[in-house]
Amino acid sequence: MTRAATRQPRGRGAQPPQHRRHQDRSLFEMGGFFSNLFSGLFGTREMRILILGLDGAGKTTILYRLQVGEVVTTIPTIGFNVETVTYKNLRFQVWDLGGQTSIRPYWRCYYSNTDAVIYVVDSSDRDRMGISKSELVAMLEEEELKKAILVVFANKQDMEQAMTPTEVANALGLPALKDRKWQIFKTSATKGTGLDEAMEWLVESLKSRQ
Amino acid sequence: MYTLLSGLYKYMFQKDEYCVLILGLDNAGKTTFLEQTKTKFSKNYKGMNLSKITTTVGLNIGTIDVGKARLMFWDLGGQEELQSLWDKYYAESHGVIYVIDSTDEERLSESKEAFEKMISSEVLEGVPLLVLANKQDVAVSSSCSSAHKFSSATCRTRLRSPSPVCVCVCVCVCVCVFVCLCVRTACRCRTSKRPSATARPRSARGTVWCSRARR
Repeated sequence: MTRAATRQPRGRGAQPPQHRRHQDRSLFEMGGFFSNLFSGLFGTREMRILILGLDGAGKTTILYRLQVGEVVTTIPTIGFNVETVTYKNLRFQVWDLGGQTSIRPYWRCYYSNTDAVIYVVDSSDRDRMGISKSELVAMLEEEELKKAILVVFANKQDMEQAMTPTEVANALGLPALKDRKWQIFKTSATKGTGLDEAMEWLVESLKSRQ
Repeated sequence: MYTLLSGLYKYMFQKDEYCVLILGLDNAGKTTFLEQTKTKFSKNYKGMNLSKITTTVGLNIGTIDVGKARLMFWDLGGQEELQSLWDKYYAESHGVIYVIDSTDEERLSESKEAFEKMISSEVLEGVPLLVLANKQDVAVSSSCSSAHKFSSATCRTRLRSPSPVCVCVCVCVCVCVFVCLCVRTACRCRTSKRPSATARPRSARGTVWCSRARR
């Protein structure tokens, strides 16, 4: 990793996850033990999820749709947004990272301990499918994401010229992935369609992970 | 020296890896079959709640170890528009499991069409094939024989295989037998630890089994 890449971009969120985890452990050994036992028994471990994709794909809209259930007005994210989302008794720590060209190199700072990646694609943006594909391929090559589950959101399905999920899958070269579980969902973050099924699937596959 | 030892270690303990495709129409029970297989063959696997399985639009994978072989399953979505993705996996697969919903008479012809299209692919020539007439636990399911008829005609013409056998068994047995089939096919053309898919022998065998993936 280059020196530049280890620097983390500034954001609205709190501390980076690594830091937070260490602090917990040193603060309360005993509490940590019981909470571990508790989460072991009831499966309430917080899952770490990244929302990635090119700029303007709808990542931030999706994040807040999942968290508060409504469409918020967003501005291009420079940095990241992080929120805790509870879905079916599972707590997710969802990180939405900015997707602009200049800040994509910083995605890798957030890869460690990631359980799942939600990759958002603007289905109506045929011109940039190639760029989206190369970013996805580069991301999946990372060692730290070897175990992560991949969910692709073919977003903006409400647009007329939107590509079908199969077209998106082909354009992203998903059939070339042979050792990773992946699933593609058609979503519309502004209309709120498809998100529930996608989250349902994600919850089930996270629960049953080997 | 290290190379020698590691080579020896690999020779002793490394398992042959085979990639197996699970195909069939949507709602045939492919993912359920995969989940059941994983639950039965890997010890620490909790398994998914079978009632929570939704339509696959992508790829599910599963790895199991049977004897000296390691099988890697690729379970693909079966919806019509997703069938165009199937052929991307043919070149690298060592075996195919085709699942039929035997309760669904109406879509049997549709399934047959998809099956024939799959089997006529040149890349799949000589690959062992297992046809599962699934959902035998449902009262209205047609017996094995219809599924048998369905595949044997195609198999005989296209693959020139001996007439398929038909037995009703649990998931376990049918996977075991399939493994033997895969291994045997691959053995005859073994060149490396991971047999290349292109060097498969011509004489493949089609097999029909009835299954109850939910049980």
